[in-house]
Amino acid sequence: MWCCCCGQFLQRQKVLGLYRDLLRNIRKIPQESDRRYLRDWAREEFKRNKSETDQDVVRMMVTQAQNHLEDLRKSLALAGC
Amino acid sequence: MAARIIARCVRSLNQRSVYFNRVNTAATLTAAPLTHGRTFSHLTNGHKSSLAQISGGSFQVFQRRQYGDLPPLSLETIRDRVLYVLKLYDKINPERLQATSHFMKDLGLDSLDQVEIIMAMEDEFGFEIPDAEAEKLMTPHEIVQYIADKKDVYE
Repeated sequence: MWCCCCGQFLQRQKVLGLYRDLLRNIRKIPQESDRRYLRDWAREEFKRNKSETDQDVVRMMVTQAQNHLEDLRKSLALAGC
Repeated sequence: MAARIIARCVRSLNQRSVYFNRVNTAATLTAAPLTHGRTFSHLTNGHKSSLAQISGGSFQVFQRRQYGDLPPLSLETIRDRVLYVLKLYDKINPERLQATSHFMKDLGLDSLDQVEIIMAMEDEFGFEIPDAEAEKLMTPHEIVQYIADKKDVYE
């Protein structure tokens, strides 16, 4: 993720954008304890896989993160936040 | 009943915030030419004359505009708040923090931490910072400059 090769740079931007979107949606959660838990969870997940270099694995993790983000958005919409 | 119609009537005449001061409601009601027979539509047809007869000094309507806003920002306050938020961040050592310390080179943070820091700044100052501009802010000084720019603070 930290290489300056073009494809990986775009990948990096995508990951950071995902992280930001995730944090923005976590902000909308009503309960402070839930917010804290999810923020810590997101941080853990992203940090743990930070040094992954295999592009396929990275792509798979990006897709997983996008799914999590979608689930969060849908739950928030249902809850009316 | 008549009192309620009077209240509704005045409110419909003036949409701004209106302050009522009914001095002598009982006297007004008895002195008023209004009876239960009067309809609501008759009252709201702008029959100011009848209102004037009713009020005759017993109603006082004050208009008040209410504004709510935060105190004005200055470069000093922005800098203080930015540094305060950064000191609260658990990954930053408060002693090593200066206005010109680079997040990645001096403070040893990574880009995920930088995203978190910018989000914290958004929470503190109450406005969103778009992604493209957020990723360029790498020192507290740059953050202060950006916020001052966006909030039109000059010194």
